[in-house]
Formats: sequence, C-alpha cells, structure tokens
Amino acid sequence: MNPPVLEALAVTKSYRLGRREIPVLRGVDLAIAQGERVALLGASGAGKSTLLHVLGLLDAPTSGSVRFDGRPVHALPVAERARLRHRHTGFVFQFYHLIPELTALQNVLLAGMMATSTLAWWRGRRAARAAAEALLVQVGLQDRLHHRPAELSGGERQRVAIARALLADPKVVLADEPTGNLDSATAAGVVELMFSIQQQRRLAFLLVTHNEELARRCDRIVRMQDGVVVG
Amino acid sequence: MIAAFSPFVALRYLLTRRINLLAMLGVTFAVWASILVDSVFTGFVGEIRRDVSRATPELILTDLPLDTGYEPLRSALEADDAVAATAPRLRHHGLLQPVRTPGGRAPGAEGAELHFDHMQSGFALLLGIDPLREAAVTPLHEWVARSETVLAARHVALPASAVLDEPDPLRRAQLLVPDDVEWLARRRAGLRVDGARAEHRSTWPGVLLGWRRLAYAPWLREGDPLDLLSAASVPTTGGAPQLRTHRLRLAFAGWFATSYRAFDETTALLPIEALRTMLGHDLADPDSIDLVTDVAIRLHPAARGDLGAVARRLQAAAQRALPPGSPPCIVLDWQQQNTVFLGAVATEQAMMQFVLFVVMLVAAFVIYAVLHMMVVQKWKDIGILAALGGTPRAIGAVFLLCGVVVATLGSALGTAFGVLSALHLNDANEWLFARTGLELFPRALFDLQRVPVRLEPAWLSTVALGAVLLALLTALLPARKAARMNPVQALAHE
Repeated sequence: MNPPVLEALAVTKSYRLGRREIPVLRGVDLAIAQGERVALLGASGAGKSTLLHVLGLLDAPTSGSVRFDGRPVHALPVAERARLRHRHTGFVFQFYHLIPELTALQNVLLAGMMATSTLAWWRGRRAARAAAEALLVQVGLQDRLHHRPAELSGGERQRVAIARALLADPKVVLADEPTGNLDSATAAGVVELMFSIQQQRRLAFLLVTHNEELARRCDRIVRMQDGVVVG
Repeated sequence: MIAAFSPFVALRYLLTRRINLLAMLGVTFAVWASILVDSVFTGFVGEIRRDVSRATPELILTDLPLDTGYEPLRSALEADDAVAATAPRLRHHGLLQPVRTPGGRAPGAEGAELHFDHMQSGFALLLGIDPLREAAVTPLHEWVARSETVLAARHVALPASAVLDEPDPLRRAQLLVPDDVEWLARRRAGLRVDGARAEHRSTWPGVLLGWRRLAYAPWLREGDPLDLLSAASVPTTGGAPQLRTHRLRLAFAGWFATSYRAFDETTALLPIEALRTMLGHDLADPDSIDLVTDVAIRLHPAARGDLGAVARRLQAAAQRALPPGSPPCIVLDWQQQNTVFLGAVATEQAMMQFVLFVVMLVAAFVIYAVLHMMVVQKWKDIGILAALGGTPRAIGAVFLLCGVVVATLGSALGTAFGVLSALHLNDANEWLFARTGLELFPRALFDLQRVPVRLEPAWLSTVALGAVLLALLTALLPARKAARMNPVQALAHE
C-alpha cells in the first residue's frame, strides 16, 4: 500500500458560539494514499465539509494533527500553510467559486500565480498560458477560453474549476459536492471527467458527497455521523 | 515579493468596476483644487509681500525717545560698513483740508476733509521725509512715477508729479511745486498773490498723497492749497501737559503709488523740515533739533545675508548714540515692521491649506468607502484566493493595490490639470470675461492687471505624493479586513 499523502490524526474541531462550544469533529482519523479515490459520505451536519477544510489547511483543527506526506502541517504559520495548500492541494467546490471578472483562461491561470512573484510570472507567462490552455482543452473547453463565467453553463464552470484545481499539479484534490449544483446529465459528465483525470494523474482524491451511487464508484467509502467516522 | 495574482486581480477589479472611476475623480478634483487654489493664493501672498517690502525700508530704527535728533544717529549708523544710506523720518498725524475762501472756487462738495481711513475721521498719518535722503533708502521716485501707470489703468490721465525732478535741491527738499502752478492755484482758491505770475516764487511745502485718495478728492489739482491741522501735547514747566494745535499751509504736489494698500490709503508724505517747523523745531532756530521718530536704513547688498545680526549691531550702535538712560530703541527689518499684517496673511494661507487638506481627506474617505464596499462584495473571491494558496498579505495587497492605483492615477491627473489650470488661468479668465462679462477672479477688486499665480514645486510634490500616501493609509483598513477574512466562512456562504 502506498504511504498516505494526506492524513488526519485524531482531529477535533469546535466552534465557539457565544459562551457555548460546539463540537463539529470529534476525533477523526483518515488517511488517503496516492492514487486512491475516497468518498466521504454522511448527512448534512455530519462534519464532512469541515473535515475537508481542515485537511485542506483552510481551517486549523482544535486538536489532533494533519500531515502532508507524513509531515505535520496543521500548526505551520498561515503563510506557509497557504504555500503548501497551493503546491499540494487542489479544490473543487459545489458552487465553482470562479472570479466573475476573469475569463475561463484567466481563472485557470490564477492558480499558477499564487506563489510566484510578478516578475517570475511575467518571465514564465507563455509556458503557464500553454499549460492552462492544455488543461482547458483536456476538460473540453477549447472554445470557451475567453468566456467569462456568466457566459458559461454550470457544467462548463465546474470544468473550469477542475482545470484550475489541476494547474499547480497537486498531489491531492479535495472535491466538496462537485455535482451538487448540476443536473444529472451534466453531473455525470463532470464526474467522468474528474475520475479519468484522477486516474491519469494518480491523484489522491477525496470526494465529499451525499450520493451513495457516486460514492460506490470510489475505492473506499468513509461514513461520518455527528463528527466521527462510523465506517 | 508581490505575488503575481495580487496586481493581476487588482487590475481586473479596477477595469470592471466603474465605481473606482468615482474614487479616482475624487482624488483628481482634490489634487487639482489644492494646486490651483494654492498657486493663486501663493501668487497673491507673493504680490502682497513684494508690495509691502517695496513700501517699507529695509531696516528701520524706531522706538526712539521724544525729541531725538537725527545727526548723532546718522553718524553712528553710517559708521557701520553694512550701511549704505540712512534717511530721517518724522511720524505725526493730522487733518488735511482744502482751503476755502469766500472769493475762491470751492473744491468738491463731498466735504471739507480728505478721508484717509475707512472710519472717515479725516485724519492722515503724516510721514515727514527728506526727499533727497529718502530716495536713497526707498524707491520714492518709483512710487511717484508709478502713480501715472496706476491711474491710467483706471482711465485717469494724470502725469506723474515732477517735484522730485526739481534741479534745485532746496526746492526739491520742500517738494515745492513749480512757481506758476502755485500762482494759478492761489488765484483759483481766491488767495492773495504778490506780483505777477512770472515773478511768483512757490512757498508752500508740497504734500504727496496716496493715489487711492483720488476717489475722495477727484477735484484736487497740482498746487491746490491744503491746510494741515494737528495737535500735540507739550509739557509745561511745573504744570500739566498742554494741548497745542498747529496749522500748516501745504500745496498738493501729486500722487504716489507703492501698491501697498494700507500705506497708500493712510499716508501723506511731506517735507520733514515743514513738519519740524510745525512742531516747534524750525531750522532757523538755533535751539531746534533735527527731530526724528525713525531712521530708515538701506544696507549694502553683501550685508543682507544675516539681517538679524546686522540689526542687532546697528541697534547697539544707535543705543550708544542716545543720551544715557534712554529707553531701548530697536531696529526692525521690513518683515518685522509689518509683523501683524504679514502674520495675518500667513495665517490665512495656513488656514486655506488646512481646508484643502480636509478636501483631500474627503477624497481619501471616498477611496476607503469604495474599497470597503469592494471587500464586502468580493468576500467569496477572497475565499477562493485563499483556497488556491493566496497568503493573507497577498490577498490584502489586491485591495491595497486598487487603492494605490486609483490614488496614483487621480493624483497624476489632478496634478496635470492643476498645473495647466494655473498656467492658463489668466487666459481662461480673460476668455470668460470677453464672452460673458464675468471674471473668475475680479482683478479690479485687487488692483491687478493679471491674477497672480505662482506654482511652488515643493507644494506640487507635497500634494501629489501626499494624496497617494493618504489614499494608501486609508486603503490599509479594507486591505486588512480582506486579509483577515475567514476563507471557510467565505466559501461556505452562498
């Protein structure tokens, strides 16, 4: 078995609401190996998205640890976590979260600008542009490079988000209900695309979903209930 | 290092959100107004200071004891290498009124007094001068010559007085008008004349009046007789001081124009000997003294570097020349002589600059409001930038750069418009006047042919850079807010 590229060890997460402490994650252990496709299944409020945010270093755990390639990363400074997140992890969200002022190509290019200086970016802009275009062609958007999100369908927007998540060549992709905002036909197309890319690149893939059928297509299903992994 | 995405996203936000144009226009207007208004005000202040300096001796020795004579002070002051020339001055006050006789042609019906101040009390500030010496310390000839130009600008054709061009120094010292001019004036006033016109010799000391009094005495002609009425308190032996009145017949010798309004409005220049005679110190009296209240001083150009040191030295020399136990005299430069007035002008300029700074603050506040609104509206974008690996500092830099670009462009445009407006202000003023009869700046109100404009490079750069700095400071707050936003909340919100 491949060593895990992403691990959560006894992770807890609580939020404070006034004087009350509200636990969301209550000691979660999860490991994802390279090339492994894992579904995170559970009802609303089970803590799936929270676990995904903690694993993606968007939020810090209250206790426990998160490891990238065996190295604890959860307690690193904010800026270092951001850099790691950029290199290591790609995100695909339910609501796409594209920048409306940027075209499809610019939204993908954005992912390559996060940890490089303006001068370095300027020097490498042609190569970056070629890579972004290649990704958009791979996701079937060769004719939509210069369209803004408002000019794209839901499925097309999600394809742009997938291309953006892959530009930095991450080891891990975290997808939070990627088909939750799509009709079934479009959703099926997007799912096929994601899975084929995941297999091609041997990405560690964590898919948060309500959909049992979609979950069964993954290598492993992790069920969550009330902040704990139950199966 | 500035992460590449910060300027990339900032530029797109700027180009697609027109509200940024409003913020930029706010900065443009504030900078333009600051430059234009200050350049006009600085021009006015420069004109005022120039006018005051031209009407004021370089240095003046004043606060002299009563009954001080000129000669000892002259010797003490002119012994200093820094002093080029000195001139005696005698300050007094009085009432000037035209002479009326039953047989003479009455002067203008506006009243018997020549009004010398706005309260129309009829009193004038008399300045007794030695015209020969005075011309060596002040531009006296220029004052007289300038009256012709100033009056011509007001469509009054009056040649400048020629009393200072009189070849006879004794006549020049008394400001005597030409003999035939005085003879005709006597006849006009119904006064007695001795002999024929060709035999008459002028006897009335002349008086030069500030040109602004023309409005109150348009009927005055060269040579017209004026009576000077004055009063002074004189000590008596063993008793209370006695009020004694004096009367002196003078001839109107012409106008002068220094361009210092207060001086032109209130001052009458007359021969110092005539004033001394009126005050009981006639030249022929062996017990008389060459009475002065001030001594005007002109320095050699090389000595003007440290006026303060020169003034202190001359003050000490003058004090030694005074009788022992005399109260301290003082030497003042032209600015110190007009401290109150110049101080008021400087205060006005400072207040005006403060108001312009407030305008700039308002423009900066507009930037803050626009950026704050942008941060709130771009909450989700902030979340995705964080998810993609943007550091909080780089995310804040997006909005900071928006503020800097808006302020820099606004400042550059405002500076360009401000400079162009200042340089072409008079052209615009004349164009507007020619087309509509209106003036942005009524030149007649300020006795100016052109609106004075002076662009100060220091002020230009202060305003231009200050606008950018101020905007940068106000942009820090929304940038900080963006940097501190929780990306999880932003991404969860839909």
